[in-house]
This record gives sequence, structure tokens and C-alpha cells, in this order.
Amino acid sequence: MEVTAGWYMTLAAVLFLIGAGGMLIRRNALMMFMSIELMLNSVNLTFIAAGKELGSLDGQLAVFFVLVVAAAEVVVGLAIIVSVFQSRSSASADELSELRG
Amino acid sequence: MTDFLPIIAQVDSGALGISYLAIGPELILAFGAALILMVDVFYKPRHTVHAGIVFSTLVLATATAILQYDRVQEGATIHFSGMIVADDFAVFGKFLLLLVAALGLLVAWPMVEQLGRRGAEGVALVLLSAAGFMFMVAGANLMMVFLGLEIGSISLYILAGITRESVISDEAALKYFLLGSFASAIFVYGVALAYAGTGELSLSGIAAQLPATAIVLRPGVVLAAMALIITGLLFKVTAAPFHAWAPDVYQGSPAGIVGYMATAAKVAGFAALARILYVSFGSFADDWGPALAAVAAISVVLGTLMAIMQTDMRRLLAYSGVAHAGFILTGIVGGQLRAVWFYLAVYVVQLIAAFAVVSVIAGPTGSVSPLDDYKGLAKRSPYLAGALTVMLLALSGMPATAGFIGKLGVFTSAWGGGYEWLVVTGLVASVAGFFFYIRIMVLMYMQEPVLAEAPGADVAKPYVSPNVEVVLAIAIAITIFFGIYPTPLLNFLG
Repeated sequence: MEVTAGWYMTLAAVLFLIGAGGMLIRRNALMMFMSIELMLNSVNLTFIAAGKELGSLDGQLAVFFVLVVAAAEVVVGLAIIVSVFQSRSSASADELSELRG
Repeated sequence: MTDFLPIIAQVDSGALGISYLAIGPELILAFGAALILMVDVFYKPRHTVHAGIVFSTLVLATATAILQYDRVQEGATIHFSGMIVADDFAVFGKFLLLLVAALGLLVAWPMVEQLGRRGAEGVALVLLSAAGFMFMVAGANLMMVFLGLEIGSISLYILAGITRESVISDEAALKYFLLGSFASAIFVYGVALAYAGTGELSLSGIAAQLPATAIVLRPGVVLAAMALIITGLLFKVTAAPFHAWAPDVYQGSPAGIVGYMATAAKVAGFAALARILYVSFGSFADDWGPALAAVAAISVVLGTLMAIMQTDMRRLLAYSGVAHAGFILTGIVGGQLRAVWFYLAVYVVQLIAAFAVVSVIAGPTGSVSPLDDYKGLAKRSPYLAGALTVMLLALSGMPATAGFIGKLGVFTSAWGGGYEWLVVTGLVASVAGFFFYIRIMVLMYMQEPVLAEAPGADVAKPYVSPNVEVVLAIAIAITIFFGIYPTPLLNFLG
């Protein structure tokens, strides 16, 4: 059986859904953040598969931009999570309940 | 819709077309941000030095934007291999973002001074996020829009938590970060699918490919892409049902910066949404029109109902922002983008001014603003109470304020576009909205101030810094002048 670009895109869609599901179900800030990273990686896979199928370089170029953005998000996100962890010694979303109404 | 025809007419992705004027304001803002950080590291100056740098940066950027405005009168042009477009739409967005950044920094300045050494970082982040959002409104390529969105959003996540010692500010930053990144991931997956479906990343290229999609799967992929892109942007502009983060973030962030955070993201988000919908997916208008109209209706109804129940000023403004997002979407589905720009322009000014009052009452770095703090405000500070009253009346759409003209515009737009039911829903919600705006006025004018434990401590007049006075004066002038005589602004918007 030949593995075509469509299979990769399907895999990417499944990864994206797992990431989105993890974001909605997980309660630990770190795990939620990892789910977002999973979603961004599924985006990369889609870009590469589509670029390969279409024979254009745009898809592979886009991956670099997404990677850079993901790296920037990691820097800021981990800093925020560490800061929250220091003040509460827990990063569970359930304990982040000062703000509600 | 006709606003964008010149862009589609000249699809020119091959030419390199470097034009520093087209990205002039962004370059100057980014340079100003870098300069502030460098000067702060090397010389550790007083905050007046930073103020000087910010002022000259904003003046230079505005001057460049005016030059750009002059240039685009001759027609829209595309630069940097089809990445950046210079047209009147982009220039309006830049003017508005510069105004928002200037007003936002004026309101935030007491906070910057309280933050001490960290203040310079806050100022640099405001300038950087404004530059990012400008790239977003001027992006002619989905990747450019994504990068601009992220430059702006990531800066805002940091600003939300810039008083990191405050437990509440931390929490706001984390919530903003998680849900904001979630929205960005949804948006960029939509971009990837649009690329997979059409083989194009440029906005006009996608439009050109859409009629030619012959493969069975592809229209489905493109529709999914469109839905994901729209959803990602609706998160950023706090349209219901994607608004859940907004009340928490507005409530927990430092009071001085909330006004800027709330408005800048909305200006860029709505501008990018309108551009992508009409340039790229214009031929799918029958698909996204009803969906967006439904989102608009849910936003106005849910925003109004939830705002009535709030006991915190900032949560109330956040939910009223959800309702306003619905009104702006009403204008977008109608297709008259001039009305949308007018609404956005006057709304962001009113919102920043309202948050300026909040920052005076809560303190520049304060989190949470219970409505009780506003009891008897008219006795403590008639000027603040009066200014907030004007802003609330304008937000509610009272005639003789600019808010009324704005609402009239978006309703006319939707009526002309065949969404009569949406106009009726919006009208009913506007009338219901008067209730919670008037409730604040009742608190301010008809109730006694709540006494703190130490008698006389909290009832004293709140200190209104000259910055806030200037912002309130500008906002009142804009709101009333354009409420009575809107023609100049409408003509300027094309």
C-alpha cells in the first residue's frame, strides 16, 4: 500500500484533534501547554505533506515560521507557568480560581 | 466588498517590491522598542527619558503612516513578494492602532512608573505588540497575518502578567496565554488546510484558486480551513461563544494596561477577519455569512445578558465587549466596511477611556474592580464620574454620541445585506444593554460611597493623573464631536 500525502494529512488531523481534546480535558497547565504544542506540530505535518503533494516550497517555508512562533510561545509560556507555580506550588487549572463571576 | 477589488486586480506574487514606506510605522515602532530596552539597560534613566523616546517614536510612526496614506490614495500596492499590502484599509488600521497605543500608554504611564525598572519592558512590549498588529492588518499573506497575530498576542500575554508578584495577575496571564495560544493554533491549522486545499498562502491567490477547485475533497478542506481561520480570529476579538477568557483576563491584569490589551487585539482581529473574509473567501460568502451572523446574534444577546449579572466593573466591560464584538460582526456580515471602521474607531476610544477611569479607581497596578468602588463616585470626583457617564452612554449607543452613529452604521449595513433579523436582535439587545450601563450611573450618582475601615481613607478624592485627564478629554471630545457631526470621519474612511 502506498502512503500518500492524504494519509499524512489525516494523521495530522488526528494529532490536532488529540491536542485540542487534551487542551480541553487536561487540568495541568503544563499538559495543556503540551497539547497546544501537539496542535502546532500537526500544523507543521500538514504544511509539509501539502507542500510535497503540490510540489511547492511554500509549505516547508511556512513550517519554519510556525516553529519560530512555537519557540517564542514556549519561552513566554514556561515563564508564566513557572511564575504561577512559584506563587502557588501547583499549576493545576482547578486551583486558578481567583477570577470568576 | 468593492473596497478590495484593486487588490485582487493586481495579483503580483513574483515581484520582490521592497518598499520601506509600506512597513515604515512597524519598523519605527520596533526600533523604538529596541531603543527603549537598550537605553534602559545601559543608562538606567528616569522614566521621563522613556517617555521622550516613546513620544518621538509614536510621532515618527504617525508621520510615516500619514505619508503612506498619501501614497495609497493613488491605489493599493503589494510589496515584499506579496507579503505586505499598502492600501487604505491597512492605513486606517495603522492609524487606529497608533491612536490606541498612544492613549493606552498615557493611561499605563502611572503603572510604568510604579513598576520601576520593569516599566521599560512594559513600554517596549506595548510598542512591539502594536507593530505586530500592524503587520496583521497589512498582511496580504496568511503567514504574515499569523506572524503579526503572534507578535502582538505574545506581547500581550506578558503584559497581562507584568506585575508577576500579584497572584491574580499571574492567573490572568496564564489563562490568557493558554487560551490565546489555543486560538492561534486553531488559526494556523486553518492556514495549513487553506494551503493544502488551494496551494496558495496569499489572500488573493486563495481567492483566485477557489473557483477552480475541481477535486472532490478540496472544497471540504477549504471550508474547514475557513471555519478554523474564522474561529481562531473570533477568539481574539472575544465574540461569543469564544469569549470565556476575556472577563478573567480583563479582571486580573494590571488596571493600567487592560485598556490597551482589550482594544489593540480587537482592532487587528476585526481588520484581519474582514480582509480575509472578503479578499480570500468572498466567493464563499453564502457559507460564512449566516454562520457569522449567528455568532453576531449570540454575542450581542449573551454579552448583554451576562453583563447585567456582573458585580465587577471590568468583567462588566468585558461582557459589554462581547456584545460590541457582535455589533461589529453585524457590520462585517452586512459588507459595509466603512461602518465597521467607524464603529471600531469610536468604540476603542470609549473603551480605553472607561478603562482609564477603572485604572484610577483600582490603582495603576491593581487587579479586580468591584462595582462597590464606584458607589458615590460623583461625590468623590465629579469629573471622573462625568467622564465615565459620557463613555457609558456612548457605549450604550445613546443618540448624540458617536456610539449611536456607529450602531446606526452597522445596522444599516446588515439591513442592506439582507440580515433584517440580526438588526432586530441587535436593537433589542441595545435597549436591554441600557440597563447595566445605567445601573453604574445610578451607583455613581445616587448612592453613598462605601466607607473603608479607616474613616475618610477611601472616600478621599481619587488622584487623577494629568495623563488620564488628557485621555478622558480626548475621548469625550471624539465621542461628542463625531456623535453630532460624524461626516469628517466618515469621509476620511472612504
